[in-house]
Amino acid sequence: MTEMQTETLVDLLVKDAKAVRPLAPPGQRVMIWLLPTLVYIAAITVIMGPRPDLLQQLSQPRFAVELGATLITGVLAAMAAFCSECPGRPQWERLVPLPAFAIWLAALGEGCWQSWLRFGIEGLRVEPDFACIPAVIGLSLLPAILLFWMIRKGAPIAPAVTAGLATLAASAIGAFTLRIVHYQDASVMVLLWQFGSVAALTALGAASGRRFLRWPDRVQSRSLT
Amino acid sequence: MRAAQAGDQRAYAELLSVLLPFLRSSVRREWRDSEDVEDIVQEILISVHSVRHTYDPGRPVMPWLMTIVSRRITDLARRKGRKNTHEIAVETLPETFRYGGANTEAETREAQNAIGHALNGLPEGQRTAFELMKIRGHSLEEASAITGKSVATLKVTVHRAIKNIQRALLKNG
Repeated sequence: MTEMQTETLVDLLVKDAKAVRPLAPPGQRVMIWLLPTLVYIAAITVIMGPRPDLLQQLSQPRFAVELGATLITGVLAAMAAFCSECPGRPQWERLVPLPAFAIWLAALGEGCWQSWLRFGIEGLRVEPDFACIPAVIGLSLLPAILLFWMIRKGAPIAPAVTAGLATLAASAIGAFTLRIVHYQDASVMVLLWQFGSVAALTALGAASGRRFLRWPDRVQSRSLT
Repeated sequence: MRAAQAGDQRAYAELLSVLLPFLRSSVRREWRDSEDVEDIVQEILISVHSVRHTYDPGRPVMPWLMTIVSRRITDLARRKGRKNTHEIAVETLPETFRYGGANTEAETREAQNAIGHALNGLPEGQRTAFELMKIRGHSLEEASAITGKSVATLKVTVHRAIKNIQRALLKNG
């Protein structure tokens, strides 16, 4: 049952309408997120030390494409997350990270194919590497905290999508950092444990979106009165 | 909307008064249960107010507004559906005995008093959690947002509250 006349509520809202700063455009917000994130990646790389063969690996096109696609997936997923919480923006913007995500997956698939051609079934042997999951989580934690703090300022019009994209962004950054510092070249292992961790975390993030991103409750808004 | 973002209360009042009839008709179109229209309109107004900073002054206002309106109508329909699965509206409370007149007004009042006493006897946290979820029909997530307690804590608190109410009712016969 309505406890208050709508016109009374309108008066209260008008009285409460202090000046607000419009949310910065998504591109600008990505830069605000990316700058400390890049510093964080650099700091982790310095502290943990880059993998010894990093320069040599970067000269390999497949590794360079995979690494680049991982980073671009993270950046574009953050951009898409920011776009998804601005009402009235086109929905295709939410799909922006998809091509980079597909290239990342394709690069890993190509690596698996090469392993198959060179070593046969031995090249696709999977070993347990559960440490990858906490490693990806640990390395993506700070970018994730910053990103979730930022996305709480938007409108929760698609909370599952926004939270899923934000988790994809942060965990792709974690996977990118892990690729720089961790010696692991079997594509099937990277596909299963690193890419798999990112996919699982993204699904978890999307599932918990409604919990993190909510409209203000009527009871909370009683402070207006 | 640009003026409203800058804190111009007159412009904001004008905007909301133009918006109000439009909101009512949009909600009535989607929501046939006319009793709830004003409630939903109010929820949407609060939502629009709380995210007015997300409007990009360089973009048209209508797509921004319509997205919020349609999103909120869907959310509230889902919430109402969830609430309806737990509650049944009845004209008169059903009697607990087959024969008419078996439940006197005094007995009903007594039962209400007993429940009231049992509720009052609960610790503050348990009473709040019970009232929010079992009386007002909020979901665990909503109750968590209101009280600031975690969903797991609230689950345990409500369970304890129910046990304590049962114990108190049994004790008082």
